[in-house]
Amino acid sequence: MNLLSIGANHRTAPIDIRERLYFSEKELERAYEVLLNKYGFKEAVIVSTCNRTEIYTVTNPFTMRYGDLLNFIKEQKNASDFVKPEYFYRQFASGAANHLFSVASGIDSMIVGDIQILAQIKDAYYYAEQKKTTGFLMNRVFNTAFRVGKRARNETEIGEGAVSISYAAVELASKIFADLSKKRALLIGAGETGELTAKHLKNKGIGELRITNRTRQRSQELADRIGGRVVEFENFIGELKQCDIVISSISSDEHILKAPMLQGIMKQRGSEPLFIIDIGVPRNIDPACNKYESVFLHDIDSLKHIIDRNLEKRKAEIPIIEKIIREELVELFKWYNSLKLNPTISDLRQMFEFIRQAEVEKHINRFNKDDRELLDLVTKRIVNKLLHTPMTTLRTSNGDPQEDTLSHISTIRKLFGLERKD
Amino acid sequence: MNTTVDVLNILLPLLYGGLLFLYGRSFFKTASRADRLKTAALAVTVIIHLIYLLLRTILFNHPPITTPFEIMTVIAFCIAAAYLFIEGISKVHGTGLFVLIPAFFFQIISTLLISDLGEVPEILRSNLLGFHVTSALLGYAAIAVGAMYGLLYLMLYHDIKSNHFSVIYKRLPNLEILESMSFRSTLFGFICLSIAIGVGLLWLPIAFGEIFYSDPKLIGSLFIWVLYAVGLVSKRVAGWHGRKIAVLHVSAFIIAIFSITIVNFFFRSFHQFY
Repeated sequence: MNLLSIGANHRTAPIDIRERLYFSEKELERAYEVLLNKYGFKEAVIVSTCNRTEIYTVTNPFTMRYGDLLNFIKEQKNASDFVKPEYFYRQFASGAANHLFSVASGIDSMIVGDIQILAQIKDAYYYAEQKKTTGFLMNRVFNTAFRVGKRARNETEIGEGAVSISYAAVELASKIFADLSKKRALLIGAGETGELTAKHLKNKGIGELRITNRTRQRSQELADRIGGRVVEFENFIGELKQCDIVISSISSDEHILKAPMLQGIMKQRGSEPLFIIDIGVPRNIDPACNKYESVFLHDIDSLKHIIDRNLEKRKAEIPIIEKIIREELVELFKWYNSLKLNPTISDLRQMFEFIRQAEVEKHINRFNKDDRELLDLVTKRIVNKLLHTPMTTLRTSNGDPQEDTLSHISTIRKLFGLERKD
Repeated sequence: MNTTVDVLNILLPLLYGGLLFLYGRSFFKTASRADRLKTAALAVTVIIHLIYLLLRTILFNHPPITTPFEIMTVIAFCIAAAYLFIEGISKVHGTGLFVLIPAFFFQIISTLLISDLGEVPEILRSNLLGFHVTSALLGYAAIAVGAMYGLLYLMLYHDIKSNHFSVIYKRLPNLEILESMSFRSTLFGFICLSIAIGVGLLWLPIAFGEIFYSDPKLIGSLFIWVLYAVGLVSKRVAGWHGRKIAVLHVSAFIIAIFSITIVNFFFRSFHQFY
């Protein structure tokens, strides 16, 4: 299989290099033109995300144009001064397919099981398809990669569980509350993680978001950015009567909420649960607040505990996914090997001969003994004449199957049911 | 028909065991084949169980409510059917393992000890009695399911509160759903028990002429009814939620079972027919 790939990812290149290798959509347009027109590649897909830039091409196995691809990257990204060959991995044939499948399944991601990568590969492929740089082989390889990604998500738990502080907090909230659209959240502080958590809550459809900070202006900016209502910091204790979720990420040397302050609030709330996420360091909320029956207080350590467990579980799924990849690779190469010319010609001849013989045997008794030999001869001639044109067309490529020949072979195998023989 | 009933009697605990295996596998490992098969398997088991109960009724010419072991198979059926209904309407699939455990044990005991009561006392052939027993069994099955959901609530509550994120945390639905399922099952059970007591009080003078209001079983049943009534009222009036209600449902069920056992084993009652 003449599939060739080159790429740099979080394992081989530092972040500043990865940033500089990233292809924006605008750059991609020109990049494909150069790959096709200047470098003469017929098929290419460029996958470029914040953690990886990879190019997949179809090339002649005798030339292995890694140098061309590296030069192309250097030229396109003005990267001659900082790109070193050791930042890049190079793969060919099954190695390239195996790598693509690992990426699509999420096991090659910086955070194992990253669910975005499959969508990013799909986007990259559809863009290339639009640019008409994908062909017969690339289509099959990428469609197999999509199937690997889908199977990984459906048949394993690789994408299960939150793996960031903000997601873990939202996951925890959804283990307490059934319908977030009926709940109110209060964000105390304007820190980055707090903001991310509030954004995730918004995405999950939280009913109302209230924001407070020591500096009102920062609260207002945040409220404008993510949507929400600003409340005065001095009044935040009173807000706890009405809010169900509290995210605190303020910078403070002492606890802003102590257990005795919560006592009266909890009496007024009855048994309504109050979920408090304390992501401040040092902690913002007195740990003793957790003593109240309806208070669920979690700090950054308990959220990290959730993340660690989820990551461990995801890593435990890798062997199952590797098995899926092996299965799909076997299928891909079975298909690819079936596209060889001579076995296809032989299979097609065998099939026609089988049909001919069966029909002759079925009707042979209707013919005189003298005519039977003639029957055999005539039917053989018919079969030979029927097969003559397809065989000649297939043989014109003569041993070095090009794209068109592979496509013809695949069509013939499909039309005559020869795939089942594999 | 006798052979069919005998075969089904042996088959049922195997089916419930199979269900526990499927629900257990699905609970501990998602994306397994058990995930796809379990609900269909439960529906098939419930149908087979229903056929068994109908065949038994036809064969022995009385509904299977005349011995404790007949009643146990009916309770197992009620629990499984109730859970199938709950799973269907709530689309919550992660709790079957726990709810079906009591059904499995009730069925095993019934299969091992059930006998064919040839002669049924005339008193047990009343339609009113049939209605009374059916609603009582549905009621007990529903409060058993409610208590199981209450127990699951407490397990998940403990996991979240103590930062112990076990498989319980991962697989169970959220606390509010568990609380709602526990409450709805218990409320349904309470309504059924109320009907059972009401119908029982109607049937008593017809069946016996003389009414035994001091009968221990009658007092026990009223005690259980009052216990649940207080619990349900306190949720409404005192605004009890969450852990308090879950503890109440679990403890009320334990007290109910304890009370039934004590009354059945240590007191003589007009309410014993076998």
